[in-house]
Amino acid sequence: MPQSAEKVIDHEMLFRQPEYADMFAKKKSEFEFKHPDEKISEVNEWTKTTEYQTLNFQRQALTVNPAKACQPLGAVFAANGFKGTLPFVHGSQGCVAYYRSHFTRHFKEPTSCVSSSMTEDAAVFGGLNNMVDGLANSYRLYKPEMIAVSTTCMAEVIGDDLDAFIKTSKQKGSIPAEFDVPFAHTPAFVGSHITGYDNALLGVLKHFWDGKANTTAPLTRVPNESINFIGGFDGFVVGNMAAIRQIFEAFGVEYTILCDPSDAWNTPTDGEFRMFDGGTTKDEVERALNAKATIVFQEFSCEKTTKFIRAHDQEVVALNSPIGVAGTDELVMAISRLTGKPVPESLTKERGRLVDALADSQAHLHGKKFALYGDPDLMLGLTQFLLELGAEPVTVLSTNGGEEWAAKVQALFDASPFGSDCKVYPKKDLWHLRSLLFTAPVDFLIGNTYGKYLERDCGVPLIRLGFPVFDRHHYHRFPIWGYEGSLRVLVMLLDELFEQLDQSTIVTAKTDISYDIIR
Amino acid sequence: MAALRQIAFYGKGGIGKSTTSQNTLAALAEMGQKILIVGCDPKADSTRLILHAKAQDTVLSLAAEAGSVEDLELEDVLKVGYRDIRCVESGGPEPGVGCAGRGVITSINFLEENGAYDGVDYVSYDVLGDVVCGGFAMPIRENKAQEIYIVMSGEMMAMYAANNISKGILKYANSGGVRLGGLICNERQTDKEYELSDALAKKLGTKLIHFVPRDNVVQHAELRRMTVLEYDPDSKQAAEYRELASKIHNNAGNGTIPTPITMDELEDLLMEFGIMKKEDESIIGKKAKEVAA
Amino acid sequence: MSLTLEDTKTRNKELIDEVLTVYPEKTGKKRAKHLNVHEEGKSDCGVKSNIKSLPGVMTIRGCAYAGSKGVVWGPIKDMVHISHGPVGCGHYSWASRRNYYIGHTGIDTFGTMQFTSDFQEKDIVFGGDKKLEKIIDEIQVLFPLNKGITVQSECPIGLIGDDIEAVSKKKSKEYEGKTIVPVRCEGFRGVSQSLGHHIANDAVRDWVFDKTDPSKNHFELSPYDVAIIGDYNIGGDAWSSRILLEEMGLRVIAQWSGDGTIAELENTPKAKLNVLHCYRSMNYISRHMEEKYGVPWVEYNFFGPSKIEASLREIACHFDDKIKEGAEQVIAKYKPLMQAVIDKYKSRLEGKKVMLFVGGLRPRHVIGAYEDLGMEVVGTGYEFGHNDDYQRTTHYVKDGTLIYDDVTGYEFEKFVERVQPDLVGSGIKEKYVFQKMGVPFRQMHSWDYSGPYHGYDGFAIFARDMDMAINSPVWGLTRAPWAK
Repeated sequence: MPQSAEKVIDHEMLFRQPEYADMFAKKKSEFEFKHPDEKISEVNEWTKTTEYQTLNFQRQALTVNPAKACQPLGAVFAANGFKGTLPFVHGSQGCVAYYRSHFTRHFKEPTSCVSSSMTEDAAVFGGLNNMVDGLANSYRLYKPEMIAVSTTCMAEVIGDDLDAFIKTSKQKGSIPAEFDVPFAHTPAFVGSHITGYDNALLGVLKHFWDGKANTTAPLTRVPNESINFIGGFDGFVVGNMAAIRQIFEAFGVEYTILCDPSDAWNTPTDGEFRMFDGGTTKDEVERALNAKATIVFQEFSCEKTTKFIRAHDQEVVALNSPIGVAGTDELVMAISRLTGKPVPESLTKERGRLVDALADSQAHLHGKKFALYGDPDLMLGLTQFLLELGAEPVTVLSTNGGEEWAAKVQALFDASPFGSDCKVYPKKDLWHLRSLLFTAPVDFLIGNTYGKYLERDCGVPLIRLGFPVFDRHHYHRFPIWGYEGSLRVLVMLLDELFEQLDQSTIVTAKTDISYDIIR
Repeated sequence: MAALRQIAFYGKGGIGKSTTSQNTLAALAEMGQKILIVGCDPKADSTRLILHAKAQDTVLSLAAEAGSVEDLELEDVLKVGYRDIRCVESGGPEPGVGCAGRGVITSINFLEENGAYDGVDYVSYDVLGDVVCGGFAMPIRENKAQEIYIVMSGEMMAMYAANNISKGILKYANSGGVRLGGLICNERQTDKEYELSDALAKKLGTKLIHFVPRDNVVQHAELRRMTVLEYDPDSKQAAEYRELASKIHNNAGNGTIPTPITMDELEDLLMEFGIMKKEDESIIGKKAKEVAA
Repeated sequence: MSLTLEDTKTRNKELIDEVLTVYPEKTGKKRAKHLNVHEEGKSDCGVKSNIKSLPGVMTIRGCAYAGSKGVVWGPIKDMVHISHGPVGCGHYSWASRRNYYIGHTGIDTFGTMQFTSDFQEKDIVFGGDKKLEKIIDEIQVLFPLNKGITVQSECPIGLIGDDIEAVSKKKSKEYEGKTIVPVRCEGFRGVSQSLGHHIANDAVRDWVFDKTDPSKNHFELSPYDVAIIGDYNIGGDAWSSRILLEEMGLRVIAQWSGDGTIAELENTPKAKLNVLHCYRSMNYISRHMEEKYGVPWVEYNFFGPSKIEASLREIACHFDDKIKEGAEQVIAKYKPLMQAVIDKYKSRLEGKKVMLFVGGLRPRHVIGAYEDLGMEVVGTGYEFGHNDDYQRTTHYVKDGTLIYDDVTGYEFEKFVERVQPDLVGSGIKEKYVFQKMGVPFRQMHSWDYSGPYHGYDGFAIFARDMDMAINSPVWGLTRAPWAK
């Protein structure tokens, strides 16, 4: 009998017990009618070849294991960054269940979001009634300060008009006329989750700056000295926002973070469930129009927003998720230039400490080969950092990064002697990457949780820097931005590296010659 | 810079909607207005008279070739024709596949984002027959067309369509700024056509902005893929279009929220004018044999 | 302080009235029909079910696609399941349901992969049928060992009028009768996952059974052949169930659908008996097999020793004495283990109150397992149950139990706040809401990454998990010592 009450055996070991092994063998041989084992290993080997890679890269229609999600996910993320704001997604309800699960699995935090639960009748007649009832219900039940509406692909295909629907809902008394309901059309068949973030954030700014969908006078910009900061879609937002605040605080400048969900996804366990916590206030959003400039930390996550802010005569500094010494320098110098304030001593010291850490560890990372995939800006930031470490990011891939992004990555390669053998792959998926990992082997893989399947298939250790991270806990609580965040990234790289080194030298009397206690 | 006027022409298919709109817009151009035409009909015939072309390459067909709309440049889809009128055709799928309504949304979003509306006085949308789904209502959403002109005639189906389009406008008029600019009757020489059109306009809470008489010169011009304004600028018909154009030009802000009528009311109206015979209720549901008996 | 039965009933009724006052009038009236206090002796739980969720209330439900791709079809391991439409649906449901299986992923099995047609705007405008054809061709090239393909429709497919049936037929013909199954499980259909289960069942009937040559995949029949229906092998549930059926002398010829294969599906009509665990999601195909192939079916419950014992005997009833004896032997064999588990955990769990809100069969099926540990289920409800589920529930729940159908986020929070259970069992979206409130929680969809919970082996894990949830020291720390 495999199980025992004394020491309960979990699934991991339970199914390795002989009783189960026999059962599996019988099931397989008698009822599964599988392909012969030889055939399976033959095909398995074939998938590792360049021949397979060629076929794999000829794909035009099929996408396998893409590293991207759809627009409304990003819209829900953005909505969560505003104080007391309930994300409301107009369309099918299953989508909302998915967004909530997805974020909850990553942050290990509740994620509140409602749906207008459109069904077949709404597909035919349009979803106006769903909007009217939905806004009334969510307003009464959850008492938000603001409801941020976005759309699923269903509502987009049938062409529902959010602006008109929201206005009609107000006329019908679902919510008070002056209640703020910014909105954004977020079709899932355009772009990815970062596009949805952009659209939703733009929806909020437009609402407050441009006269609340023609119901009030647009605000007039009266420039002041403060700086806005927009982070973009970011799985490490809880740690990162704290790191960014610290940098601004060190400068002692006035600043506004536009869209900050770092408290909403970081509530305490103290006996109270907080549906809403923290976030940018409406007042802050309105005042942000007057800021001297806006720093957009992830350009590809904020393309339309950037354009919009510039059109309001505000300077925008668009970065590509800079990570590392030079990357963070860029951020720090931008703040210094915009505010006219010198870089504070504390940051200079922090920078020195990061350089110190790099100097201590560079020998281990020098020349190590990396493959990395993820959202376009994060890829640029990590590529920049890896090159700075003397490592080689030989394969940089993004499913939601296009040609423009690829050119930027290539420019980073071209500017570094370590980039000469590196290649960028826009609009590719993780099945493409699987081929590449066989034909152009690397030492480490950087990506999100789904990368673990590549770790298994290709034997490349995975370092989890991306979104989502479901199978490790609390990563999101620590920053990867700023000097401090870069240090954390460095430690993650080193931890995996040393772990691998130990694993490969652990066999007694065989490989343990190099099983060193000092490294 | 004067505020951008956005207007739309709606109407039942085959009513002469795109002919009327192109001639009127040509006349507006003559008046010195800078015009952009956005054709929102999958058959892409809203700009042929201006461009002297069979059918313009459409936003959607080019996007499909290029991969996505993001891969397109404005120059690819925007052509300039008679009197510098800028022309774009949205295009769409073959009948029976895909979603033409979504295509309209895609195209208009693309044009707006790429600055197609910069520096023009008029944007005119030419929209397929009836309002069939949300996508085709895109041009009447807020911040799009301010006034809708319904092209119709004294025929029964054209009047049904006009009433239906009014319903579509009403849906958006309360929350948004869209208004019904008026009816344009394209003469088909049916009985009491002017009176009927005028009566329908009143019922719909609008006016018959112009009654365009039938004239063969329109066909002659069409054969040459030209507007009458260009083909025979001195003709009487050209003067009619000029008159319509100036009426539209002076109609800014005069649009109304339509008051569509019920089917019964519409039928009553048609009967009043003798277009439709009163139904003989006694024959309803009777089979041939029963009638014979 | 323990309440009398009457007190409890009054408290629960007041609680229902209280939550209803918050809704707008129209919504409150509708929600009132879904909330009730169970009265013993009634034929069902007195709630309406399988009705549209109300907009904006934060339903916990999913959609038909989730029911078909996520639940029924997804676990069939040697087929490629295309999430047909935009990228999101396939992404969010990618490998998240823990349907364990054995195989070379990407080579001969495809369970934890995400195949999508990643619809772009042009596919919506011009239709996606041509793309689907090409996708099937590319799958054939790159995944030559796949045993079949399913097309799991996302919302736009039905809205733009794509003809996936025609594409499937055409391609099936082109690839020598390959199994290609179009599934019309667009997310806007129906009111929850439930219709997706039904649609998926019907797709098996129409596109697998009706097209299968019975001589294909031949094996010698035995009088003891059964198929496990409605076990998705979450954390290995179907395996810890199968082992018991085999130990009692039966032969399991198919698993639906956890760790299942297309060959197993095809061969199922040859079974002597279908044993049905998740009634909700697979009663349709069980009834069909009974009508068309004369295969009887029996529901069973493998949560907790009491129900397992009863179920083993019930299943054995359909066979000869050899199997009946086999069942008794299995029961006897595991008795000491079960006793040891109960001895170890019951004293720590006795009298603890549980509130559940789950899908499928679990809102009723797990009650026995809790009771085996001396615990009491004081509230339960179905995410997507129908009236027949609520009828079956009357055999499990006690008088005065709080019943909530398609509970809203607001209601659930208020109910838990007032009832103060010692444990809440629900899904990932609910987990942290209640943990923040200081209430121990176990995910009862995914077994909170543990399991199996089915069978005798599973019960030991279940008991240990409930103990670790409730008796974790962390719940003593939620209040700061200086807090008032």
